[in-house]
Amino acid sequence: MLSGPAHRFVNRNALRLLSAAFAGSLIAGLGLTGLPSAVADSASPSPAAAPKVLRIGLTTSIDNPNLFAVNSAAEWGSAVIQNDMALKFGPDLTAAPGLATGCDPSADKRTWTCHLRDGLKWSDGEPITSKDVVFSYNFVRDKQFDYFNSYFPEGTTFTTPDVKTYVWHMKDPGIGPMRPAWCYIVPEHIWGKYANSTQDQIKAVKLFPNVASGPFVMTQANPGQNWTFSRNPYFWGPKPTYDQVVFQLYTNQEAMVQALKNGEIDIADGLDGPLLPALNAIPNVAVQKVESDFWVSMAFNFGGQGPNSHPLPALKDLNVRKAIEMAIDKQSIVDKVYPGAAQPGETIVRPLSTYWHLTVPADKVIKYDPVAANALLDQSGYTKGADGIRVDPKTGQPLHITLPTSDDVNGSSDIGQLVRGYLKQIGITVDVKPTTAAKMYDLQQSGEFDAYIWYWSGDPDPNYQISVFSTSACDGDGHLSDGCWKDPTYDALDAKQRTEFDQVKRQQDVYAAQQYVYDQIPDIVLAYPNFIEAYRTDKVAGLVATPAKVGYLTTSYDYASMVSAHPAEQSATTDPSSSSGGIPVWVWPLAVAAIGVGVFLSMRRSSNGSDEFERD
Amino acid sequence: MRLRYIARKCGWALLTLLFVLTANFFLFRIMPGDPIGLLARSTRLSPEALQAQIHLFGLDQPLPAQYVTYLKQTLSGNLGVSIISGTDVSEMLGSRLWPTVLLVGLGTLIAAVIGVFAGIKGGWTRGSGFDRGSLYSSLLLYATPEGWLGMLLLIVFAGTLGWFPAGGYASNSGSGAASFGDVARHLFLPVLTLALGYVGSFVIVMRSSMIDVKEEDYISTARAKGLNDATIRRHHAVPNAFLPSFTLIVLSVGFILGGAIVVETVFSWPGLGLLTYQAIKDQDYPVLQAVFLISSGAVIVANLIADIAYGYLDPRVEEV
Amino acid sequence: MATHVPLGDSPEDVSSLSPRQLAWRRRSDSFGRTWSVFRSNRQAMTGLTILVFFGLLALFSPLLVSVDAVDPSMASGPPNSPPIAGYPLGTDGFGRSVLSLLVVGSRVSLIVGLTATLGAVLIGATVGLVSGFYGGTRIDRVLSTLTDWFLVIPWLVLAIVLAAILGPTLLNVILVIAVTSWAMTARIVRAQTLSVRTLPYVERARALGAGDASIIVRHVLPNVFPVIFAQAVLTVAVAILSETTLAILGLGDPTSISWGIIIEEAFNAGAMANGYWWWMIPPGLCIIAVTLAFTMCGYALEEIFNPRLRRRG
Repeated sequence: MLSGPAHRFVNRNALRLLSAAFAGSLIAGLGLTGLPSAVADSASPSPAAAPKVLRIGLTTSIDNPNLFAVNSAAEWGSAVIQNDMALKFGPDLTAAPGLATGCDPSADKRTWTCHLRDGLKWSDGEPITSKDVVFSYNFVRDKQFDYFNSYFPEGTTFTTPDVKTYVWHMKDPGIGPMRPAWCYIVPEHIWGKYANSTQDQIKAVKLFPNVASGPFVMTQANPGQNWTFSRNPYFWGPKPTYDQVVFQLYTNQEAMVQALKNGEIDIADGLDGPLLPALNAIPNVAVQKVESDFWVSMAFNFGGQGPNSHPLPALKDLNVRKAIEMAIDKQSIVDKVYPGAAQPGETIVRPLSTYWHLTVPADKVIKYDPVAANALLDQSGYTKGADGIRVDPKTGQPLHITLPTSDDVNGSSDIGQLVRGYLKQIGITVDVKPTTAAKMYDLQQSGEFDAYIWYWSGDPDPNYQISVFSTSACDGDGHLSDGCWKDPTYDALDAKQRTEFDQVKRQQDVYAAQQYVYDQIPDIVLAYPNFIEAYRTDKVAGLVATPAKVGYLTTSYDYASMVSAHPAEQSATTDPSSSSGGIPVWVWPLAVAAIGVGVFLSMRRSSNGSDEFERD
Repeated sequence: MRLRYIARKCGWALLTLLFVLTANFFLFRIMPGDPIGLLARSTRLSPEALQAQIHLFGLDQPLPAQYVTYLKQTLSGNLGVSIISGTDVSEMLGSRLWPTVLLVGLGTLIAAVIGVFAGIKGGWTRGSGFDRGSLYSSLLLYATPEGWLGMLLLIVFAGTLGWFPAGGYASNSGSGAASFGDVARHLFLPVLTLALGYVGSFVIVMRSSMIDVKEEDYISTARAKGLNDATIRRHHAVPNAFLPSFTLIVLSVGFILGGAIVVETVFSWPGLGLLTYQAIKDQDYPVLQAVFLISSGAVIVANLIADIAYGYLDPRVEEV
Repeated sequence: MATHVPLGDSPEDVSSLSPRQLAWRRRSDSFGRTWSVFRSNRQAMTGLTILVFFGLLALFSPLLVSVDAVDPSMASGPPNSPPIAGYPLGTDGFGRSVLSLLVVGSRVSLIVGLTATLGAVLIGATVGLVSGFYGGTRIDRVLSTLTDWFLVIPWLVLAIVLAAILGPTLLNVILVIAVTSWAMTARIVRAQTLSVRTLPYVERARALGAGDASIIVRHVLPNVFPVIFAQAVLTVAVAILSETTLAILGLGDPTSISWGIIIEEAFNAGAMANGYWWWMIPPGLCIIAVTLAFTMCGYALEEIFNPRLRRRG
């Protein structure tokens, strides 16, 4: 689950394993959001009493509604719609006013003073104070809820001069709260009771209805089916038009698309590219292709993770890696595996982080050119053996790559098979080994692979993504580094961008790091798959994307869309479920099958004048 | 009287249960990688919780001790926690039980009723047009993968025709009659798929049992006495033919449970099958283990009930 | 009854034949008898025709469809196209011909079905033979109970759980199906063995000092073999259906194209929502045809070999 940003990011490997994995959720999971739907599903705009319900279909489940057990895409969506950060993600994913209106730095940038809005209340009517904010920050740190606590520099303390003010005290100068701390603010009068509890006791707490500050709070859960969020009467922002938002679970995307078509849901979230034709064929459906939140790569192994790490030595040769990259037709991978819903991959900072993402200059792009790839390998001394397989001149080993692919990446085994075909053209054989995410994690940790197909998702800030390619990311147990690539030049670039406070200068450093990885090819970034959301334009209007335009209409980063959404004007559209057209397509093969069966049966029957079965 | 028979059957059921428990125990231990490493991967489990979990199932003890601990824990209802959501597995199963009982129960019932009637009629009028029609459609349905059949029905009836919802348990969280109708609409296609998928084997079983009986002496005797065909069938043939089929039908519940996993997946029906599918995707082993355990338990109990009922219905079994 | 079953001894003088020749003669006679009954059963012959067709298809699939034709990177057709010239059954998401996939799939599906069955029958026959031969002893009780257990537990659920634990490779799929589907064979073989072991010539062999193993292999097995064979044919149908179920649940090996895998890929590519019927329906029909064929042949053989069951038709 990749759902979201930062927090999850921190635990990417662990998260992947664990979780959901469900292909649909891959892409940004959170999708769950909701948009407004019009009238619930009955057709008649009934008398005043009927609540307005927005129904959102999703493909992951809320197994545990507890905020501190958040994991799956659906659970992140549930967290986002119910809770507030102090400063939240604005339209460009930088800090925007949330519960707090803003923060002022001291001259030395070590102390930041933040101010809460007036009149804030929890959904149970209790006031929200700066004590709640500081309690939340300390709580996640004390209890080590990693997804929430990675935003506070080591040694940071918090104080509350008054009920509306809280202060960050840091050891070193920094931007502190201005890089939005993705930590939800929870009520101390509820969670304070668990100050002495363990993580697991806290995760086991069941709170119904939930007490939170966001626009909707969960009031009903039917595990495996749907979850209902009702409007929080004490929400500090504009009053949402919808009375309820319902997350409806579908295990397969087809069923969800049918449900969208039949009007059972207003928004379908967590869709993949292959369904675009079906979506486009439905009248009154708009599709949002969210700019890529993650990337799929072929990572090379450089060895050294453990005693069982014996990758193909030739992969240490940049020319071999470069030839492989030149032999892979990324555009074709995109067209065949993610038709209409991905862009060819380039650099390691995802495109959704528009400010930081580097578009490689044309003169530095490694173009698809199998002929040149063959020439490069010829020049480098990797001559073809009798069987057409190239041989490493240094070791005499044939170039054969074992390539596991992880099932938590949609289309990974398809990509593996494509890569196998491409590399065959340059005399390299590939053994594609589809595996589960859990086993992939074992392989990655132990280094028992030559290369693999897996993904990375990221934080809005590029810091983390850049750091996982550094030498330090390889050291120790539970390392994050894909294949233990170690390069001092890169480490210096990483250090530089990390310590630069001027955003414009840092952008250049981040660009340089991306370009260096692109040139040295420890990973080949193959594709940036889009995340797809679709909604009924005849039912919902007023949805807004976060980040603006190219981002999520649902609750991946912020609930703004849930607040602004409203039922669409009921124009004189026909009921979509009755007139969707295209009936014949499915009927005729069935008819053929039925006729076949009929013929078969009658043949049987007529052939049995003398009954061969009656033999006793 | 029959106490000894019942006692023997109960004993056998308990022994079977022990076997299932044992199989389950080893299942978890033959998997590649070690169970502790597997548990340790879960970020949902804090180090202390991990230790507690390891200790709970005795994973830090030698194998025989582990086995004893495992039996104790499982029999007291502790099935561990999901490595994905960190929730109690028995709780997860509990919330998914009812939809599966509904689906499998209805599907089996419909398939059995239709299968038994068609089998009786076909077997009795062997070689007739009806017999051949029902026999060949049965073979055909038997040969059809139920997942594929479900997809086809989904496309035609939910997609193209739009008569039924595409999946899920209910669209609204209402109550009363409206809610009943809502669930029924969602239930229709999955039940249909399951019933179609299994009616074939019931027809075949019942039919051959009927044919066997038809040739028994007492049927000839009845005929010689001049009883009419319908009477012979109803009073002599059917009761005797039904008994042996009965056990087979009950046994097939286990098979249908397997089919329900696919059908629930295709139709997003929120039962144990869907839970299993998600657990497969997530590699959530404790959940998979528990699903195996609970479905085995259900089959063993059903089988026991069938055996006992059989014993009452057919006095001859006493001597067996 | 239309069939002529030659039941009498062959008119030739058999006394001049060696025991080995005699055994062969007996076997070939019995094969001839079986075949002639089988041939007269239209149901069985329909099944056999279908099987021969798919068998040849699988056998010659490398000649009919080159490896490159199903290599996704070499696919040249328009993706997701309905039937057009050159692609009589349309294409999949990569632009590969669905017809080519079906041809290649026949090989994997049949290999899985047959090898899994071989495994299941090996286990089942061994257990059944041993259990039946030592009928009434402790060994028999242990093996029979084990067999009953495997009959009772929901084996499809067990197969799914096992496959999920072992991971998605072709070998694992075969293994899982074999391990979960041997019990019925064992039970039937045991019953048959129980009756065979009391036959006079078995007793004679024992009196002549033959060891148990040799009696089982030389005397019991040949007599039980027809029943094993019939049961094996029926098991193939179950194995192919199981493979389909595992594939649809994502437990198959995505790099070995079987009919089940084609269905799963179509399902994942939104075939239902997008109306790609040419991609999803044909593999299902192939599975039905082959499963039906194995079932029909199996029932016919069972009827011939196991007269007690001679009423399935």
